[in-house]
Amino acid sequence: VLVLVRSPLPRLRALLQRCWGRLERGLWPGVFGDHSLPLGPAVAVQGPALVPQGINGSGGSSAEAPRLLDSIVWMAAPKQRRTIEVNRCRRRHPTKLIEIKRNIDVCPECGNLKQKHVLCGYCYAKVKEETRLVRMEIHKKEGGPFNAPAVETVVLYEGEKPTEKDEGKRIIERARKRPSWFVQN
Amino acid sequence: MRLSVAAAISHGRVYRRFGLSPRSRLDLLRNLVTALVRHERIETPWARADEMRGYAERLIDYAKRGDKDERAMRMADFWLTEKDLIHKLFKVLAPRFQPHPGSYTRLLQIPNRDGLDRAKMAVIELKGNPLPPLVRPRRDSDKTLLNQLLKGYRQDAQRAAAP
Repeated sequence: VLVLVRSPLPRLRALLQRCWGRLERGLWPGVFGDHSLPLGPAVAVQGPALVPQGINGSGGSSAEAPRLLDSIVWMAAPKQRRTIEVNRCRRRHPTKLIEIKRNIDVCPECGNLKQKHVLCGYCYAKVKEETRLVRMEIHKKEGGPFNAPAVETVVLYEGEKPTEKDEGKRIIERARKRPSWFVQN
Repeated sequence: MRLSVAAAISHGRVYRRFGLSPRSRLDLLRNLVTALVRHERIETPWARADEMRGYAERLIDYAKRGDKDERAMRMADFWLTEKDLIHKLFKVLAPRFQPHPGSYTRLLQIPNRDGLDRAKMAVIELKGNPLPPLVRPRRDSDKTLLNQLLKGYRQDAQRAAAP
């Protein structure tokens, strides 16, 4: 095959020579698609030209493929399908099951369920709401930020007068009847 | 003699790790202590509340020394970022807890947070705060065996004393 290349630069010429050499040797399989040995003889012809090219040459060229396969890292994969019996044993082992909770009780105040060591959610929500309203009143009384007073505070509901224990305390008024669970001291 | 500690062993370490660094952990706890002194009841993750509890109680112990004490004032100045709370600490909280020898806070667990993380939450409050109470102290019912026996004993004593 005659190839006429006009190579203005010696670098380009050297590059083209190298590429051609790779093509000849079959180390560039991407160019001609998936042939194992590109540029091999397309037709089986008898003759001295097709004697195997010597031990070193053929050893080198024919062992290319196995060497490539040897250098790939092999990953572990299951050999057999796991049977449903084995799968059941693994999936239903006691350590994998969800633990049943035996520490659930009934709240004596409201009757909802609660864990023994945790506050009742309903009763806590009630107290949280009332605390929020008391804090709103405190905020209104203080006016702005960083105005915490240097005296105690006491919360009084409708119709309640401060006792002699609440002498020097700041009084927060809430406009509702005293709830049954908030006992006045 | 062990000269270096193997990584991933933490036997005997009492302080939890929070935030980005030890300094950041102290800043986080400092914010929580300030919030507790201001609002007297806060709701936070349980681990933070547990960690903060020790620092808050030691701060009150320092405040009990009185505000003339130099160390107490420096501690309060570091731990309370909002400076009007220093007055509240020395004038309100120290006299309130003067009769108590210790344990000025109450830590109670709450149902897990509603968000995606379902974190274990707790509410920590100073005892004697003016807010509505979280837990009502329950007296034992009158129908228990011990209470019935005590009631019978009281009645017998009254009958013997009466005539």
